[in-house]
Amino acid sequence: MSDPGLDFATSFPVPMPDADTQPFWDGCERGELLIQRCGYCKKWLWQPRPICSGCQTPDPVWTRVSGAGFVASWTVLRPPSLPAFAQKLPYVLLLVELDEGVRLIGFLVDDAGGWLQTDGEAEGIHMGTRMSLRFYDQAGTILPSWTVAS
Amino acid sequence: MSRPAWAGRQRQAVVVGIHALPFSKNIGMTERHGGGLAILGALQDAGLSVADVDGMYRFVWEGTTEMEMARILGIENLRMFGEVDYGGGAGCPAVSHAALAIENGLADVVVVWRSRNRSSGGRPWVSQLQATGQDQFERPYGLVRPVDGMALHTRYWMHKYGWGPEVLGRVAITQRELARRNPAAVMQKPMTMDDYLGARMIADPLRLFDCCLETDGALAMVLTSAERTADLEVTPVYVTGFAMGSGPQCYGMTFYYDEVLGVTPAKYVAPELWKNTGLQPEDMDVVQFYDAFTPQIPVSFEEYGFCGEGEAPAYMLEGKNPPYNTSGGGLSEAYVHGFNLLLEGVRQVRGSSTTQAKDVQHSLVTSGNVVPTGAIVFSKEPW
Ligand SMILES: [Zn+2]
Repeated sequence: MSDPGLDFATSFPVPMPDADTQPFWDGCERGELLIQRCGYCKKWLWQPRPICSGCQTPDPVWTRVSGAGFVASWTVLRPPSLPAFAQKLPYVLLLVELDEGVRLIGFLVDDAGGWLQTDGEAEGIHMGTRMSLRFYDQAGTILPSWTVAS
Repeated sequence: MSRPAWAGRQRQAVVVGIHALPFSKNIGMTERHGGGLAILGALQDAGLSVADVDGMYRFVWEGTTEMEMARILGIENLRMFGEVDYGGGAGCPAVSHAALAIENGLADVVVVWRSRNRSSGGRPWVSQLQATGQDQFERPYGLVRPVDGMALHTRYWMHKYGWGPEVLGRVAITQRELARRNPAAVMQKPMTMDDYLGARMIADPLRLFDCCLETDGALAMVLTSAERTADLEVTPVYVTGFAMGSGPQCYGMTFYYDEVLGVTPAKYVAPELWKNTGLQPEDMDVVQFYDAFTPQIPVSFEEYGFCGEGEAPAYMLEGKNPPYNTSGGGLSEAYVHGFNLLLEGVRQVRGSSTTQAKDVQHSLVTSGNVVPTGAIVFSKEPW
């Protein structure tokens, strides 16, 4: 389609980082979840940005966090989706609120970080469920994802 | 009711022309073709011609630029033009920009249009595999459809306010019945609560009939000044006031990363709208709320102040609400980024809706509430 080098029938969407977001994706490659925190007012910031939205101090500091948090909301994705996701449906898409207060999108994965084809019922997903960070390798893209905290 | 704070404006903008091509699954022409015909139809409705047009506004998502449309139609000179972004949030803001141009004497006859082959042209979310900006943290997860982001909000609203699925089902059924009174509406088949509840999930908790249609449609609106209508035969519909809003940390479609969950930009539009118009929710005789998805209706009743937070299901069940989405709306008439809602808002003031509300003095239209958005009040008399 419109993306050269990506086969529409089989390719997942891939992040296209720029200088403001590259450290986040580099962290994922190392198995680290990095969130920006203002060096001056200490506000946690998500999504990535070059200036603190709380106090306008430039260059928020990339800070490693545990990824622990809870389910702030969630949905189950069902057809139709992009062709590449067809074999993965249904699956749970999470909005996880980190203990630092910011919220991220993630997959629900198993304890080993493996794929879960599920509607979330067997895993007991509900609003407020405590979650632990995992990283899911989607065709080479390392994506922060979550499993139910043990 | 107090006069609006900005009533000292030099001129008042009025809507004098509206037109829509028949809605369909395949309109059989390009978007620029449909858009051009819709504009010509709206000009004819107003008793004006291309030679009168000196302003144009469009959605950023409109595939045809103002310049291309002006070239096609042979417009001599556009004195004012522009685009408003953010998908379904752009309708009321685009019309508001047109009204601003007229009120300030910067243009006399301004066209706004939306032409979208959303059915035959395919789904816009399927073609973008390289995710930049905001999208890089969403699309790799398959969060690509508008319904996915809306489902995350809806789950939260259902949890917080104790909505059952019937709260949403009643919206879908109500609008289907309204569509069935409107021969122009795409959906004419009756819907029961069993039909609603039995339909497949698309993104839990949203089912098939919580989602708007996928429609080919082309619609246009023509605005001018009240003074200009002296030599026109049309009955003007007055633009009483409008407002736009983003709220803090606003994204397109998703706004749940570090602000209060469940609050939409419409919450920020509402106080501005009531201040700008000098009106209140109870002054609205009929409303057209942006409805790409059913939950936007109860949330809009609450955020625009028709009832309190969490009260919409009971408020609507008791029938305390003004008539809403009287053409069937995006759910059952046609989904053209809400431009059909704008036309219906005008028809209600003209008295030409297929479900005409009684004695309409003021008619509210809103744009997509989960994106940067706006709202507008049309009135029967100068206000
Ligand atoms: Zn700061």
